[in-house]
Amino acid sequence: MVNDLKIAGTRKSLGKSLLYTLPMFLITFLFITGGRPNFSDPSSAIAVLTAFLLVNVLYFLMHFTGKTDRYRAVLFIIFALSLSYTLIHNMLEVRNSMSFSQADILECKIPFCHLVIPMMILPAVFTKSIIFPGSILNGFANISTMIVLWLVATLVLGRGFCSWGCFYGGWDDGFSRFGKKPLIKRIDGLWKWMPFAVLMMVMLTAALSMMPTYCSWICPFKAVTEFEQVTSVESATKAGIFLSLFGGLVIALPIMTKKRTQCSFLCPLGAINTLSNKITPFMIKIDKNACNECFKCVETCPLYALTRDDIKEGKVSMFCSKCGKCVDACSKNAIHYGIKGVPAGTLKNFSRNLFLFVSFLFMAIFSAGSIIASFQGLLKLIF
Amino acid sequence: MKKIKIIAGISWAFFGLILIIILFPGLNSYSVSVSKLPFMKLNPRYSGGEIAKRIVTDRCTLDIRKPVFNGFIKERNNGFVQLDWRGNISELINDSIDYDQDGIKDFNISVDRKNSKTVLNPINSKVKDVIISTRTSYGWAVRVGIKKQL
Repeated sequence: MVNDLKIAGTRKSLGKSLLYTLPMFLITFLFITGGRPNFSDPSSAIAVLTAFLLVNVLYFLMHFTGKTDRYRAVLFIIFALSLSYTLIHNMLEVRNSMSFSQADILECKIPFCHLVIPMMILPAVFTKSIIFPGSILNGFANISTMIVLWLVATLVLGRGFCSWGCFYGGWDDGFSRFGKKPLIKRIDGLWKWMPFAVLMMVMLTAALSMMPTYCSWICPFKAVTEFEQVTSVESATKAGIFLSLFGGLVIALPIMTKKRTQCSFLCPLGAINTLSNKITPFMIKIDKNACNECFKCVETCPLYALTRDDIKEGKVSMFCSKCGKCVDACSKNAIHYGIKGVPAGTLKNFSRNLFLFVSFLFMAIFSAGSIIASFQGLLKLIF
Repeated sequence: MKKIKIIAGISWAFFGLILIIILFPGLNSYSVSVSKLPFMKLNPRYSGGEIAKRIVTDRCTLDIRKPVFNGFIKERNNGFVQLDWRGNISELINDSIDYDQDGIKDFNISVDRKNSKTVLNPINSKVKDVIISTRTSYGWAVRVGIKKQL
């Protein structure tokens, strides 16, 4: 009964859902197929068509069922898996190994990822240069393109980038969905400030050593992308740290807590994105008149962004990544997508529709390339 | 005031929508614009530094780059000089290098490409050791550690 009440607020009829999906269908058709689908290579055509259908079916279901997080997570997790698959596949094909060599570093051929951005800031200000062995403009994942993508997404989505744009977040999001109940129920909320400490530490150490220290020493996702060739005790230690952090923060703790622990307790870029939540137009709002203080939203929030006090005060903290899990959990439709300046409880559907279009469009186009490449790889493996 | 806030918020949200829609078609041109920003160049610690001297022979080219001592606030005492051999390089490289361009050779370096063995014979006491010696897509590269001051 209560679920019916909630769903009635956001779900749409079949016709309306199709109508809302039409703009997404047309825009993704243009970007994913390039406007001119190429059927000369069957495996490529099937991969493109599958990716195109996948994103549009998921977007349609968001409108038709009124659920957000469930379908966002499907694409988000596929994005993370496919990016890792594509990267590893390329590395194995080109280098016969998942590790990059000294030559790759010397020739500045390392793909740039958004997690480097916090470490670039101080050296860019003081030395007017970038401390990363990547390409400024050319090649796969070059520095300029990745900065533009992150900057625009962060400006528009704020920390929403962490749930709608980050190609690593799907890993711990996925593992946090294993099991029905959390084995560890309580972790002190103070830990959510840890990424700020990590941010300060990596910014300072990167500036002093002129080296992206987080990537060189801490990043758990090196375990599923690429890492330095193990040729010494130092590189072996680094590989050990990457694997341990991946195992602990991305696999074990998310399964035990049902929370995104890497994103909550470690990611330094998450800390910057958290601050950007202050300027983004989209936010999660609490309609205090509708809220019955069941605190299901607090329990389900994967990033420790909601507390009971927040709910009582009717505000959502800046740690929110707008994943929509709390929105899906609320039986009263009291917690909802909103727009800055618009009072809570008003323009609920309008705000949700606008946010979903913006955030899903970004994720769909950003993820399409790697999803297509991994589908193609899978097709080649099967046939 | 409330109405102004609502209008401003919705306008900002629509501006966000437009930003995302125009982001991907214009991504290449935005990236080019960003790449032209003053800080968008690789630190010499990664690029290897500017080419100070190019020695061209019949078979290959040797680029001797400027010594790199770049630090965060000030220059460091320890740095490196990068040497790049390009073209049709022989299996055994043997060169004498004057990295500081003072007319006096600073070190001899020999690289056995087949066995990936590099031997450095310092002449100048500022020359320390071989940091990296590796095959590259264009030939071979070596970074030799050097001191700034004695």
